[in-house]
Amino acid sequence: MVKKCIATSLNEALLFLKDGEVTIVSGGTDVMVQRRNVAGELPLHDKNVLYLKNVKELYYIKEDGDGLHIGAETSMSDIIADKRVPKILRECLEEIASVNIRNSATLAGNIANASPAGDSIVIDNLLDAKLKLSSVRGSRFVDAKDFVIGVRKTILEKDELIEEIVFPRRDYNHLYWKKVGSRKADSIAKLSFAAAYKLNKNKIEKMRIVFGSVSIKPAQNKSLEDEFIGLSVDELKAKIPYFVDSYRQVISPIDDQRSTKKYREIVAMNLLREFLENIK
Amino acid sequence: MEKIKFNLNGKDVSIEVDPSSRLIDVLRLNYGLTGTKEGCGEGSCGACVVLMDGRSVNSCLLPMANVINHKIVTIEEFSKSKAYECIKEAFSSLGGSQCGFCTPGMIIASYALLKKNPHPSEEEIREHLSGNLCRCTGYEAIVSAVILASKKGEGLW
Repeated sequence: MVKKCIATSLNEALLFLKDGEVTIVSGGTDVMVQRRNVAGELPLHDKNVLYLKNVKELYYIKEDGDGLHIGAETSMSDIIADKRVPKILRECLEEIASVNIRNSATLAGNIANASPAGDSIVIDNLLDAKLKLSSVRGSRFVDAKDFVIGVRKTILEKDELIEEIVFPRRDYNHLYWKKVGSRKADSIAKLSFAAAYKLNKNKIEKMRIVFGSVSIKPAQNKSLEDEFIGLSVDELKAKIPYFVDSYRQVISPIDDQRSTKKYREIVAMNLLREFLENIK
Repeated sequence: MEKIKFNLNGKDVSIEVDPSSRLIDVLRLNYGLTGTKEGCGEGSCGACVVLMDGRSVNSCLLPMANVINHKIVTIEEFSKSKAYECIKEAFSSLGGSQCGFCTPGMIIASYALLKKNPHPSEEEIREHLSGNLCRCTGYEAIVSAVILASKKGEGLW
């Protein structure tokens, strides 16, 4: 018999999670599709279900010395409407699904869903976001880039949930995000590309490059990012062919119902090349 | 089964249902509110859109657990308002409705937009209604109808 818990406090939610395999429902916009039944019949849940939307203490956007904290139950629409949220994240969320869905959907849900085509996690990685994972055992912070480990697989333990997402302050000169899909709304990405750099005295001080939907998880390479550091703009431009060739090895696109391996590789590398050529 | 309390069309109600029941099923089967339609059943078409606390949401994706203590307004209640009259007039005069299946969701979503933004640009209308599909009109008439409603409905939203 599947047990269902409508939690009204974080503590109640964590206690329910303690008892084994649980499907966590926030906005429901992914789970309700995944568990869909015929019209008029209950969704097909095979595990216990925890509803988090009534946990009011998980609705917040607040700033402190660590950066910006977004509570797990805050809707995407509320995140988009808050000007304290990094613009690039708001722009990314605005390209997810439709207004109707974003009024229910959450950022934490988009991350936990761990789809290879997930959009927001690309930006979470770009901005060095951290996730606060909580259980009755306590809380731990992990880097968003280490959270997803496979197709719909994450490092979340059975008794844990995402309590909040933390965005540390960053001072990039330029941030770039592009999603390539087949229609403007309700589009699942064929691929996406996000990048950011900081220049100091004409030298690259920081570089972030993340590709979405071209691997089982967002593709990022720390050692390649480090190779940009210290390069002048001219030196960087001279090395563009090298970086494009190197990043081609970082991604592993596939053929699927949305696009082809070849298209994804070509467009991903064109976006990278364009981004690097425009650094000034 | 859980006792789910919420506000439906202006009245506080309480119903014993499984918390995973979809709002659309409860509206149609338990309350007989069949103005809300089910098209795709997966959040792509918007035929099931209702207002939750004044915002447009897909009722096919909402488990009843998520509706607790919220205000739900369906097309049946909304159609008693002056705002509805204005949007309806605009849709009917410009051909914004043909077979009518998408229309309840389209009207609710249009109202949610006008409430937030009384003078939307064409681009903003297209963006806001992008989660509402219509297979008859080709959208031009719908977009024109929302522009007309925004002009005629000053102060109604």
